[in-house]
Amino acid sequence: MEDMQQRLDLIESMIRKARNNFSENGHLYIVWGWVIFACCLVQYFAGSLMGYKQAYLVWMACWAVVPYMIWYIRRQKKREKVRTYTDEIMNTVWVTFGISAFLLVCVLGLALGPDMYKIVLPLYLCLYGIPTFLCGVILRFRPLVAGGIACWILSLASVFTPVREQVLLIALAMIAAWLLPGYQLRSRYRKETAHV
Amino acid sequence: MFKDLDPILHTPLRLAIVSLLISVKEAEFTFLKEKTNATAGNLSVQINKLKDAGYIGVIKQFRDNYPQTLCSITPKGIKAFEEYVRNLQSYLQAGK
Repeated sequence: MEDMQQRLDLIESMIRKARNNFSENGHLYIVWGWVIFACCLVQYFAGSLMGYKQAYLVWMACWAVVPYMIWYIRRQKKREKVRTYTDEIMNTVWVTFGISAFLLVCVLGLALGPDMYKIVLPLYLCLYGIPTFLCGVILRFRPLVAGGIACWILSLASVFTPVREQVLLIALAMIAAWLLPGYQLRSRYRKETAHV
Repeated sequence: MFKDLDPILHTPLRLAIVSLLISVKEAEFTFLKEKTNATAGNLSVQINKLKDAGYIGVIKQFRDNYPQTLCSITPKGIKAFEEYVRNLQSYLQAGK
């Protein structure tokens, strides 16, 4: 009978070991968080306050990050020793977000023209909340859940904010949803990998 | 009547391998070695036995010029594992 109990304990400990394999290091949250945060500040201070008409071009920086992100994800895939169902779902969530974010700006641009600037940022804030909240729930990581909720609150707040200042709410959302959780994910990852 | 415990899963290392694979989509040989603390030779033998029984799938490939062995559990393996756990539990409950 003791032997049977040992077998059950072995099963339990192996399942725990597999589940504790935490692969999210927060790097892409931090990179995207800083890039978008910086773009927002440049757009607001250079574009809105100082009147540089070309300030919106700063958003091209996002395109520059895409090849880096692809390279980074491919490198991580090569390094990973195990692929969990959690990794699969998280990837799908982010791919869904990427496609939706791209389509949103295209559809609004085509449908509303220059008027899209009145509505695009509140909608983006709402959209940012979805993958952030979902990943927080999947990873059981509260800072991301809180970040997602913060995005949705900011999305509501943006309706009552002048269009010119809405970009500052995006900067705030980056701090709450991607930068703070990103650094916390990084420290959790470092702690967990140090124990292996 | 108690059912016999599956002899393929009743070996600790094979049971450990299947228990690890049940929680993940696929795992590299090095991951299984690290988590089970088994020697490469022993692990390799047990993986082959599980593969021959149809409990796990094994893909051998090259990544960056290095050989890589990827293991994943099959539906037959999941069924066998679930039945093994059920039988273990019924033995333990009868012993109380």
